[in-house]
Amino acid sequence: MVNFLAVMLQTQTPESGQPFYADNATILHHMSDALHQSLYRVLSLLIAVLPGILAFFLSLAVFTVIGMVISAVLRHGLAWVRFDDRLTHYRGSGDWTPANSPTAIVARGSFWACVLLGLIIGVSAFDASYATAASLPISLLPYLTHAVGAILLLIAGTLIARFLARSVLIGAVNAQLQYARFLSLGVKWLVLVLTAAMVLDHLEIGGVVVELAFGILFGGIVLTLSLAIGLGSRDLVSRSLESRVERSSERNLEVPPAGTSASGETLRHF
Amino acid sequence: MVEASSAAERPNGSLLVLLPGSQPAQLETILANLTASFPAEDLVIASPEGPIPDSNPNVQFVDLPAAKLSWTLTAGDFVSAHHLTQNTNARAVLILGPESGSLRASALGNLANTILSTSTDLAVPCYDLQPRAGLVNSSILYPLSRALFATRVRFPLAIDFGLSPRMAERLGAAAQRFVALNQSEAPLWVVSEAMVTGMKIEEIDAGPRELPQPADPDLNAILPFVTGSLFSDIEAKAAFWQRARVSPPPRKQAPPAQQQTSDGSAEVASLLQGFRLAYTNLREIWGLVLPPNTLLGLKRLSLIDGPAFRMPENLWARIVFDFLIAYRLRTLNRGHLLGALIPLYLAWVASHINVIAAGDNPERHIEAHAAAFEAEKAYLVARWRWPDRFNP
Repeated sequence: MVNFLAVMLQTQTPESGQPFYADNATILHHMSDALHQSLYRVLSLLIAVLPGILAFFLSLAVFTVIGMVISAVLRHGLAWVRFDDRLTHYRGSGDWTPANSPTAIVARGSFWACVLLGLIIGVSAFDASYATAASLPISLLPYLTHAVGAILLLIAGTLIARFLARSVLIGAVNAQLQYARFLSLGVKWLVLVLTAAMVLDHLEIGGVVVELAFGILFGGIVLTLSLAIGLGSRDLVSRSLESRVERSSERNLEVPPAGTSASGETLRHF
Repeated sequence: MVEASSAAERPNGSLLVLLPGSQPAQLETILANLTASFPAEDLVIASPEGPIPDSNPNVQFVDLPAAKLSWTLTAGDFVSAHHLTQNTNARAVLILGPESGSLRASALGNLANTILSTSTDLAVPCYDLQPRAGLVNSSILYPLSRALFATRVRFPLAIDFGLSPRMAERLGAAAQRFVALNQSEAPLWVVSEAMVTGMKIEEIDAGPRELPQPADPDLNAILPFVTGSLFSDIEAKAAFWQRARVSPPPRKQAPPAQQQTSDGSAEVASLLQGFRLAYTNLREIWGLVLPPNTLLGLKRLSLIDGPAFRMPENLWARIVFDFLIAYRLRTLNRGHLLGALIPLYLAWVASHINVIAAGDNPERHIEAHAAAFEAEKAYLVARWRWPDRFNP
């Protein structure tokens, strides 16, 4: 390829009287050197990292197999010692579905613990092999090791966002706030934005831009919520709060005289 | 723990009376009511307040460990009852909850005499409450208890009980599990425990009684606490209630309806507004728990307004059963689940107020709901055993 390019360049007639062939040869030589070095560097890096990748998959596979063996042993062993019956006798509850019996839970837990251990050891091996090849940095490689942490962060953030959104929604509905869904969505997006910023920061993508964007976005959501509640939905909020105050007596276990019926009977939930 | 050395020297035949939550001012009234029915020398009173000054010298007093005041009887109370029963060799135990001074002397006498003179293990009072009182009991506790444990005890979470020594022992053992888990404030479901262990239960008419209310008046906290406790108890006793059992016939006819002077329309409007708000916002969460038919029923309900609003009996039964299933399967966080039940319960309350306002007998309304729970039990059992057959 390089020779072909050199020949192509040589067939062109020089329009000036300058010594052109010598310069072209130097450029081609430099290009060739650069390509060779680059190729060498990438191949060296791959060779250095390849054992790490293999170690990762090997570790995962070995520990998965170990997990399966341990799980099977535990399943049979616990069934043999009648673990479920003993636990039922101790706990006083005999209602286990076959998929959720204590034996199944212990066996499943041990299997996944082994898989997790294999994953940790694999990632650690990969990380170690990458460190030996750190003299040849390729910008994408660090993300492979950080990606695991980022995925965990993303999962945890999403779960927390959903949990908090539901908590706020149910609490607000039971408090009879008209803007319950709005509050719930606000909380959910606050947590999701925070999670996204943490994930990007963990992956070292964006740097200061992410921090700045997160600050603006987070502050924007909080400001929007405040303005919406304080100004935009002033009438709605005041109506909602007024009706809440009126209803608070009825929502209590015993309705005070203002909420009693004309017969004087009170509403008692207990 | 319990200083009952003098009481232990007493011959068998004494009546042990535990007063865990009674105010000092009420102790004299309770003692007077008790001495009206029993010889003073047969009484052993256990109270955290100690002996009552100027009381009959023949009445024996023992110390009861002071516990946090609760509006209902707790596991800790039953552990104390068991220990004291052993220490005093009592033939019968009477546990009286807070504000038991409002109970009539005859009610106290009947509760204790049922244990002393018959082979009954558990005497449970049937209080005479106003139609608008005890609504959680009427809507959830009683129907569930009747449908699953085949007992017509009207107040499964009563706060006064008469116990035989073996019932006290059994309840003490059950309560000890909660105490060991540092949950001595948890309520104990005495009636279901008695049914599971094959004890003989008798219901006693106790007349009117002032029922103490929880210290925290927030329904959003107390309803999930009580229903969560009941659901856990039902989950633990699944092996018992899944077998088909027939409830005993009703003990008495429903009392005649009282004349209502108010239609309660303001309360109903407010409750229905809350229900509609919940229907708008919680449909997604309810959709995780309830099947499409029930959601359709709720949609129809959300369109009904005012005095015409009625919660159909079978719809309410299925709602409670579906929440029970979701509680067991942990379909969603249990706190969220029980929080999502509150607006539905308030819709039931609105329906009940409408029934009362229409002049119908509220007791018949409650009995109709309990019968619907019994009729729908097969649905619960099927979903309990094969929950994967149906995923909303």
